[in-house]
Amino acid sequence: MQSASDALARDDRLIAGFAALAIAIHILEAAFPSPLPGVKPGLANVITVIVLLRYGWYTAAWVAALRVLAGSLLVGTFLSPTFIMSASGAFAALLAMWLAQRLAGPWLGALGYSICAALAHMATQLVVAWQLFIPHPALLKLAPFLLTAALVFGMVSGVIAASVLNTLGPRARADRP
Amino acid sequence: MSLVRPGDAVVVTLAALLVGASWAAFWGGGGPAEFAAVSAPGQPLQQLPLGTDAVLEVRGRLGASRLEVRDGRARFTDSPCVGRLCVHAGWLSRSGQVAACLPNGVVLEITGGEREFDAISF
Repeated sequence: MQSASDALARDDRLIAGFAALAIAIHILEAAFPSPLPGVKPGLANVITVIVLLRYGWYTAAWVAALRVLAGSLLVGTFLSPTFIMSASGAFAALLAMWLAQRLAGPWLGALGYSICAALAHMATQLVVAWQLFIPHPALLKLAPFLLTAALVFGMVSGVIAASVLNTLGPRARADRP
Repeated sequence: MSLVRPGDAVVVTLAALLVGASWAAFWGGGGPAEFAAVSAPGQPLQQLPLGTDAVLEVRGRLGASRLEVRDGRARFTDSPCVGRLCVHAGWLSRSGQVAACLPNGVVLEITGGEREFDAISF
């Protein structure tokens, strides 16, 4: 029997560890040039999906929020438009994954969550960009390209997350928060 | 635990449909072309409905350009210029298409509907 504070500390360490991983991926990705503005693989979401499936939505939300916050501080985009886009996208992705879990949790794997997250992320960023930064209808002409990219990259990260989860195997009892 | 679960296939299908729909919504064809707009130096813009066949003579800087509207398309049939590029532009039928006789200053443009492109040339 563990005390509540022990469990809390272990949760914190879990969140911190996974957030660190996600931040590292986030920064590595930020260093890569993008073929099209707004398109990037979004591999940091692999971590969010893995955490979601292994430790639940609450932990995943923490990891994603920390990733966006610390990632932006390290890349130097905190409170800039990039940060607003990143934060709104991550929020939408979390919301989409929460909804997906509520609606179809038992039947969904990492691939499904990842695609939901990627599309929600991209769609929200488009709307935010259109409403806040570039209120020109031509921006929406980009939507199909960006959504297609989101679908492809969502599938890629989904498969990565699924194979990582496969390798990790079922979680040991003591590991459960 | 297998890599792909049944719900994933459903999500992939729905997502693909959604993305396909976004292509259709944002890159679908514009509305039908409605008018042939003819402009010439010193004259008001003339809007000819593409639905009614017509033959038109427009006075430009060099002389009279002849235009024709038939079967929802429009073209230059003759112009007093050297290369007759406007005539060789042929029939115009889609919104945004332009043929111009620059020496004569006469421009024919198809308008109406929702323009897919700023300009089209072949």
